[in-house]
Amino acid sequence: MDLNVLRSYIPLYNEALLLTLKTGLLGILTAFAIGLSGAAAIYFNVPVVKKVLGIYIELFRNTPLLVQLFFIYFALPKLGLRISAETCGILGLGLIGGAYMIETMRSGLFSIDRVQSESALSLGMTDRQVFFHIILPQAFSVSMPGIMANVIFLLKETSVFSTISLMDLMFTAKDLIGMYAKTIECLFLLVIYYLIMLLPVSILGSIIERRVRYAEFGD
Amino acid sequence: MKKNLLTKLGTILVSTTIIGASLAGCGSAKADNAETAISEEDTATADAAKEQEAGDAEEAQESAEEAGDGEEAQDTDAVYRTLDEIKESGTINIGVFSDKSPFGYVDENGEYAGYDVYFAEKIGEDLGVDINYVSTEAANRIEYLQTGKVDIILANFTVTEERAQEVDFALPYMNVALGVVSPSDNVVESLDSVGADDQIIVISGTTAETYLEKNYPDIKLQKYDAYAEAKTAFENGNGVAWANDNTEVIAFSLENEGFTVGIPSLGDADTIAPAVTKGNESLLTWLNDEIETIGEDNFFHQDYEATLLDTYGADYENTLVVEGGKVQ
Repeated sequence: MDLNVLRSYIPLYNEALLLTLKTGLLGILTAFAIGLSGAAAIYFNVPVVKKVLGIYIELFRNTPLLVQLFFIYFALPKLGLRISAETCGILGLGLIGGAYMIETMRSGLFSIDRVQSESALSLGMTDRQVFFHIILPQAFSVSMPGIMANVIFLLKETSVFSTISLMDLMFTAKDLIGMYAKTIECLFLLVIYYLIMLLPVSILGSIIERRVRYAEFGD
Repeated sequence: MKKNLLTKLGTILVSTTIIGASLAGCGSAKADNAETAISEEDTATADAAKEQEAGDAEEAQESAEEAGDGEEAQDTDAVYRTLDEIKESGTINIGVFSDKSPFGYVDENGEYAGYDVYFAEKIGEDLGVDINYVSTEAANRIEYLQTGKVDIILANFTVTEERAQEVDFALPYMNVALGVVSPSDNVVESLDSVGADDQIIVISGTTAETYLEKNYPDIKLQKYDAYAEAKTAFENGNGVAWANDNTEVIAFSLENEGFTVGIPSLGDADTIAPAVTKGNESLLTWLNDEIETIGEDNFFHQDYEATLLDTYGADYENTLVVEGGKVQ
């Protein structure tokens, strides 16, 4: 272990961390948006949309992110649609994450007993009020562990971005090893940086999980 | 809440311990490597010496550790296999490219073929062993040798000073320089004319990447980790040019219409040579002898005619081929 080498690599790793976080977070937000609206659509049994979502979920949950990125980045330009590497990464994460998020949130929504929405309706609440004030908060509470698992999964999935020339943490390490062969230093920094990125997320996750518990009924 | 945080803290603690432990392990492995030159002479006399110098506290401790760690210690001590060990096992592991036509690639029958592979076949034949081809990427060639996953790298490996510190190169068998290919309607003829927003495609771990990082730090590079991906990206029009070994870019422009090699030669003239794990003297000596011997029969010219002629034509034969390890 050469401390000078470590020090000289840190700026590169910082850059990679920023890129990983940026694409990761935007991807997760996209995934969250898709997940929430998708799960709601399935919950409300919207006719055509439900079928389409079913196909979407099966397609994206049963193919690896690597393959999806390959398709978006290398095949779409051949069909005349050019997307920058960064957008492609965000889109890829968003799409695969969306499929997972829909399933997680759907299970949360369906876990809330029908009695509750019926009671709320009989008290004179509108459909809208029932969904946003009764069902959704409890569903969140139930699906939070799953959502956090998805978030961490998505952040780690950024490690396949090297395929599309995005200098994420993994690729930066591989690249430096290829150029200067300082394997131990590079891999050490790689582990450290992934921990720096993921441990706070994981801790934040458990705090949020506690916070949303208030909504749970009959606890 | 408290319990949960405790778990997290525990995780942090455990992971730091693991990292620390692995670092300690790696650190001593590195030190071992650095001392290979000395320790190799030592090894012969090591056993005797150790018995005699049992008083030496450090060494005693070391051997105690070795006894304790058993296999692990053995692995880090000799990652490579000597010539005799390879012959005894009956198989040699050779790292080649699987996607770099016409040097190392997998042909339509699923067999490895190309200029490097033709040479690899000869090595196997003359050693009297079977060959187990291991597909490598540019960036992991050094790693494969250092971890003993392959005995020889024959993957268009350009000899550079930095690499020579990590692996041992045998005599060269090919000449190479860098080259830059670009679309014919917008040919890049000088790297100084590359705009601030333009990107040049390179493959991670190649000499082209190192050269551009060093000499043109302002040029934005778009890096890929495999030949196939870089090629597809370049064909798709990502990046204004592709910098790589000139052999590769010339082959690309000859095979694909609409692309011109604007800069046929860049940087220093280099050579390509087989590489073995640092310190593997017996295999290195054998390889050097082999290259000299088969050079007498003009083996590499035959190799060129069998594998490269279709791509480059006869014009490049004498510029590319290095016979008998002697660069002219």
